[in-house]
Amino acid sequence: MEEEIRRLRMPLSAEDALSLRAGDMVLLDGEITITAGLPTHHRIIEVAEGRREAPRDLHGGGLFHLGSYSRETAEGGFEVLYMNPTTSTRFNGLMPGLIRHFGLRAVGGKGGLDAGCVEAMREVGCVYLSFVGGGAPLLSDAIRAVVSVDWNDLVSHYRLVTLRVEALGPVTVGIDAHGNSLYGSLSETAAARMPRIMDDLARARAQDGAEEVT
Amino acid sequence: MPITYDMMKRATAQLYEWSLRKVPDDTLEALRRARETETNEVARRTLGILLRSAEMAETQDRLVCSDSGVPNFVIGIGTGVRLEGDIKRAVSDGFDELVATTNPPLLKHVTNPLTNERSYRGKEMPLVTWDLIDGAEHVDITCQPKALGSGRWAAMEIFTFPTLEQIERYVMDCVLKAGSQHCPPVNIGVGIGGTFDYCAKLAARATLRPYGTTNPEPILAAMEERLLKAVNATGFGPMGTGGDTTALGVHVEYAAGHGFTPVAVAFNCWINRRTRARLYGDGRLERVE
Repeated sequence: MEEEIRRLRMPLSAEDALSLRAGDMVLLDGEITITAGLPTHHRIIEVAEGRREAPRDLHGGGLFHLGSYSRETAEGGFEVLYMNPTTSTRFNGLMPGLIRHFGLRAVGGKGGLDAGCVEAMREVGCVYLSFVGGGAPLLSDAIRAVVSVDWNDLVSHYRLVTLRVEALGPVTVGIDAHGNSLYGSLSETAAARMPRIMDDLARARAQDGAEEVT
Repeated sequence: MPITYDMMKRATAQLYEWSLRKVPDDTLEALRRARETETNEVARRTLGILLRSAEMAETQDRLVCSDSGVPNFVIGIGTGVRLEGDIKRAVSDGFDELVATTNPPLLKHVTNPLTNERSYRGKEMPLVTWDLIDGAEHVDITCQPKALGSGRWAAMEIFTFPTLEQIERYVMDCVLKAGSQHCPPVNIGVGIGGTFDYCAKLAARATLRPYGTTNPEPILAAMEERLLKAVNATGFGPMGTGGDTTALGVHVEYAAGHGFTPVAVAFNCWINRRTRARLYGDGRLERVE
């Protein structure tokens, strides 16, 4: 399964972002910024609105919903012991503003984002990358260096952490920059299949002798 | 010999530690089987990645998921057991000690719901369901840490004399609402009947059943099989990016009730975190799963 998987340099170039299609699987090399915190998103919005100083420049970067355990080392730097994605959908309301303001080329986590985010991503040329949940050993092994850990007053997984990674993934393009979302289309498909699924259940109940045919 | 405070403290901490590192064998087996039958290429590869992560965690003694969840136990005390010391306190002291000593350290997930502050301690933590086991000479301890994929998407509704059709439709509504978000393929637990609180426990207990087990009640055994097919016909797939494998099992439990019938639906994410062991008076901790 290692064969022929495309590797992408982070932060993504505009061309690379546009070249991806929902359903592609890729590996990431380079710099990514991560956080799993709602308070962190509120702070990033304050940065966007000029009410708070940016700890680092997020423009054109990759901002992912990954939580990590970071701690200070004896040398005064930071180490990250492990990381893993969290559910992105709870940030639905905040992401369109962030994607547009910072011109993010890549966002991600797990579980996807809603239609409002898909539209912002299409405008800006941004992709959503799905990381496997429960993938901590695999994902953490891709960390090569801790570039920065900011907002250390927050609990570890809320901090804004920038990492250098090598062969992070594989990750799946859940939403591409052309308005295609696996999540949106799967939800629509599932909803459209429901009448048939309910009919099949009714038939199976009748066969099982559980109930009258409806 | 009595089961003491110290024995309970050690046992519950140990179970928590195990649950974070080992995907249960029935679950690994179900994931492998799913990978063989899955027809979607991305889904097949995703299942392969999940299996690799589980294997790395087990062989390298690492956490499968960074979200170690909040401590949640089901503890059955054999009526033949003699207890000594503060057994309830032993469970919370055990978690405190685990947090202080485990390596790598755990993230703070215990959340005060009134302030959203997170730490390692909180009101009523760890969450414990106490039960009795007639005639047993041991304490049966199950640890099922709860995080988003194993807690966030649970739901319940109370019906009046529902038909099986209504019950099954409600389960499917919950499946659609959870969609891609609970780290599928999931273990789905359904509770039917009892009362509000009892029904929720039934659904939670159903998620503890190993894959491949069926309810001895024929009506429910048939329902479990029907619903598994129905859930996997939705197409959400592994990690919700599409495929035939959205659930690895549907387990239904029921209790008699009044006729106002609660139906509860609970999910456990793909890692299906749970460990279970029997603690005996001579200090033996026999791991069951």
